[in-house]
Amino acid sequence: MTQYQGDMRELYPVAGEPYHYRIEECEGSLTFSVDGENPAGDIPHLTLSIESTGGGEGLCRTESGRMLPFAWARVGTELHVWLDGYVYVFGTWQGRQRGSGGTDQGSENVVAPMPGGILEVLVREGERVERNQTVVIMESMKMELAITVPIDGIVRRLAVQPGQQVDRGMRLLDLAPERGAGEQQ
Amino acid sequence: MFSRVLVANRGEIAVRINQTLVAMGISPVAVYSDADSCAPHVTTAEQAIALPGNSAEETYLDIPRIIQAAHDGQADAVHPGYGFLSENPDLARACHEAGLTFIGPGPESMEVLGDKVRSKEIAAVAGVPVVPSSPVCLPGDPVASEFVERWEFPLLVKAAAGGGGRGMRLVHQRQDLAAEMESASREAQSAFGDGRIFLERFISGPRHIEIQVLADSLGHTIHLGERECSIQRRHQKIIEESPSPALTTELRQRLGDAAVAVARQCGYVNAGTAEFLVDPQTDEFYFLEMNARLQVEHPVTEALAGLDMVEWQLRIACGEHLTIQQEDIQPRGHAIECRIYAEDPYHDFAPSTGALLRWRPPSGPGLRMDSGVIEGQEVTVYYDPMLAKLIAWAPDRETCLGRLEAALARFQALGVITNIPLLRSVVAHPQFRRGSYDTGFLEWNPAVTTPFAGEESRSLARALAAWAARQPDGSPSHVPLDSSGAYRGPWQTLGRQKFP
Repeated sequence: MTQYQGDMRELYPVAGEPYHYRIEECEGSLTFSVDGENPAGDIPHLTLSIESTGGGEGLCRTESGRMLPFAWARVGTELHVWLDGYVYVFGTWQGRQRGSGGTDQGSENVVAPMPGGILEVLVREGERVERNQTVVIMESMKMELAITVPIDGIVRRLAVQPGQQVDRGMRLLDLAPERGAGEQQ
Repeated sequence: MFSRVLVANRGEIAVRINQTLVAMGISPVAVYSDADSCAPHVTTAEQAIALPGNSAEETYLDIPRIIQAAHDGQADAVHPGYGFLSENPDLARACHEAGLTFIGPGPESMEVLGDKVRSKEIAAVAGVPVVPSSPVCLPGDPVASEFVERWEFPLLVKAAAGGGGRGMRLVHQRQDLAAEMESASREAQSAFGDGRIFLERFISGPRHIEIQVLADSLGHTIHLGERECSIQRRHQKIIEESPSPALTTELRQRLGDAAVAVARQCGYVNAGTAEFLVDPQTDEFYFLEMNARLQVEHPVTEALAGLDMVEWQLRIACGEHLTIQQEDIQPRGHAIECRIYAEDPYHDFAPSTGALLRWRPPSGPGLRMDSGVIEGQEVTVYYDPMLAKLIAWAPDRETCLGRLEAALARFQALGVITNIPLLRSVVAHPQFRRGSYDTGFLEWNPAVTTPFAGEESRSLARALAAWAARQPDGSPSHVPLDSSGAYRGPWQTLGRQKFP
């Protein structure tokens, strides 16, 4: 029997909280569980068996006997999983540090969701913004894309200006969370 | 017939045109940007000519370079595909001047039809009803306010040179109008190089139905029936079907006659599509525009009519006569097309880029896959995010829906986020199944753009991800990736090569 554990976080289709998982593997049969403090861990543990000949694909059988084909691919630190016609993306990382995306305590980065050009910056440093407010307009693949902020806060630093080209994941601005709104994360 | 044809396009449509060319014994000549050096539209051609650079402007939109490539490839004709230069009369003219045949209508009819306002005037002369609209203007022009006085909100802002929903905005309140006109004009400038816009009366709950037309140089004009294109996101079609569940035989006949009348009125030659808004309550219809090119969704018509549209485009461009009569067109069965986009349906359809690490399209009875990508290919930011089209055909609509749903459920695409789950939700939706939908379908059904709730699937996916994280590598072994995870094919590592 092999035991292993690690940290993951669902990034897609729904961004979730980081969780710590444990797996016991015995002759192709897995028991999977997520540590209890995790609010999304509504199913305490799961038993399944996996057959895979490699090549990024396999077949899993659930306890109830369902047979489901699956596939996976690694993109940097992300793990993309195709299961029964749906796609999930998970973030993986070493150790147990938080993966909130913030650079330092009490700060939130707003990053470019994809590469493109900055058309407009609609806020100034020091400006107060509300959750879901549009702060930057980008152009990508000939379409305009409105970038919104995930929390209420104050724009601490602007990292881009109109006309600039940005890569996916590049920081657009730093946001200091409003007092009392920090729990949104 | 031509011996060599330059295809001035990329992606699935260039691949599809290459297929017909090869089948007819004609050599396809491709053009490609740096990012596309190993793309399927290059590998399915017989010769490929580099257009160094990446942006559409310096590659697929550069007329002098396209003409030069046609000469270098010793082509005798140019097929523009759809998008890019397909509706640009300057390319058609440049072809004529260079002694090349342009596969499409003449530059004069392209010019008239490309101008949304002039094309409506043509339709009105032909006795076809049109949607009321303002004169063409730039943001801030007083002619817009005159139109606003006459009609109630909501109103549509549209790009004069537009198409594909780019530069189009639905404005609900007067106070938003100025900002939306600015934004639409900017998007139009960027997409078409023309920032002019106009306002149009908004028809509530309409169905978007179009008629495929074929016309030869002798003026023999027929229509090949309709395509229902009401499932749209951001005013861009994602699912098309034929026959339309909304049309009676009588209305279908009237729409077909109207499309042929507009085509005749402007002396149209080759394949074209007349788009209409149909009010399902009253059965009234309004001519929107005529697209002077091959449409993305032409396979739907091909499936029903049993002919190859690109073959007929080539024959007509070659001066052959259309041997089909209107009464020969007897549409058979039902076809539905789904457009597969590299975009996130759950986050405002944001385009997604990256290496397509896994790409396993389905196959089966009645399925057709028009794909412009292969596994391992990089999906870049430079071009339209449409990757492929999946078309299902069956003797009846119910069987067709079943085939399509099953095919979408086994379509594996990883590495780039796609809209496949959304297409699946729409095809499975009771309202879509009943055929009672309009262009507001996605807005009225927010559940289809909300991530599915299957907790069991999610828990299983988490377990599989944890297991897969320990496996040697999820990437297929033949996909070379550099340390950042980006695709590094031989085309990149060997440097730029010019084909002889």
